[in-house]
Amino acid sequence: MIEVRELTKTFDGFKALDSASITVPDGAIYGLVGPNGAGKSTLIRHLTGIYRPDSGVCLAGGEPIYENPAAKARIAAIPDDWYYFPSATIRDMMRFYRGMYPTFDEKRYEKFKDVFQLPEKAVIRRMSKGMQKQAAFWLAMCCRPDYLILDEPVDGLDPVMRRQVWSLMMGDVSEHGTTVLVSSHNLRELEDVCDHVGILHKGRVLLERSLSDLQDNIVKVQTVFQPGTVPELPRDLEILHTSCIGRVYTYIIRGNGETVGQKLAACQPVMIDILPLSLEEIFIYELGGEQYAVKDILF
Amino acid sequence: MFSLDHRDARPIYEQIRDGLRRMIVTGALAPDEKLPSVRALAMELAINPNTIQRAYAELETEGYTYSVPGKGIFAAQRQAAAPARLETLLERLTELLTELHFLEVPLEAVTARVEEVYHD
Repeated sequence: MIEVRELTKTFDGFKALDSASITVPDGAIYGLVGPNGAGKSTLIRHLTGIYRPDSGVCLAGGEPIYENPAAKARIAAIPDDWYYFPSATIRDMMRFYRGMYPTFDEKRYEKFKDVFQLPEKAVIRRMSKGMQKQAAFWLAMCCRPDYLILDEPVDGLDPVMRRQVWSLMMGDVSEHGTTVLVSSHNLRELEDVCDHVGILHKGRVLLERSLSDLQDNIVKVQTVFQPGTVPELPRDLEILHTSCIGRVYTYIIRGNGETVGQKLAACQPVMIDILPLSLEEIFIYELGGEQYAVKDILF
Repeated sequence: MFSLDHRDARPIYEQIRDGLRRMIVTGALAPDEKLPSVRALAMELAINPNTIQRAYAELETEGYTYSVPGKGIFAAQRQAAAPARLETLLERLTELLTELHFLEVPLEAVTARVEEVYHD
């Protein structure tokens, strides 16, 4: 389990993290999302032992991470700005990782040659960005970590390779119970792979839930009422957003689909459709409540 | 086996559940045939294993599959549906019949279709 409690980090008076707390259960795939500058990468750098917390704690398997080689040996990471030694080849980097990680799996490294098809003896720094990222996956997954921390992991990978690495990670999760924390802006993709989601905004954790909980607790309702009337909706419904096109009213309502449907039945709609929201829509409406919305700009 | 449709409004676990159920109902998965393991399906579709677990759990409560510990999950024999599932199916039938009625499809045509399926 990865636990972050009341973590605060200040850079030059700017609070990048403001008593943020998250919990990633073992075997979970946790999606960390948030607007640009929300503090996702700062949080990740604490989890990989790069930053020292100003206050609060960062634990992996109950152990503090900062300056703790035993805890860090169980964590592999792909940061957003990876580092390879000058003129190092993938094989050189493999030797380095093998020395750092006691669990490094050399057989797996050999097997992945077929998967990634990168020139093993070429200098990594001369490869394309996407190839360098593939190399990062190759090396990180051979460490057989208990915790895999990924910052914008599939950015720059082609569609086939994206699916390939997700597929490999899903295999590790179901077979070894690997815990994955991933930050990304690609919510469409996160929806497929994550089972837990945390939304970070201005250094604080806005909400943290399991994805099924999140999706079962907010619905989109499209409804048509009797001609000429717009009945008053039950007062106990928490409506986040209303829009209307012609006679069709669309509401975003907090609550379970069934209970919302039962309550709205009192208004005797002619037609009613209750749809689940995509993660992207949830993100937009949750942040909309925090005054972070797409602004209408007129030119 | 089957693919996910990202334009579909249904959540992914429902798509998997419905897809597998259809395969069982149509006989694409024969009774007592083994379903793919959670891991295999998670890797094939590149989605979270827990999502697949959830779909499998629902199929089992609905009575379409049964699991043998240590062996895997198998398609069940034809049998009585769970009451909740029966309710949804009948509701869907009403919906379809309402539309057929609206389109003035004669009752005979509908009953003929019903008999065709039931005597199969």
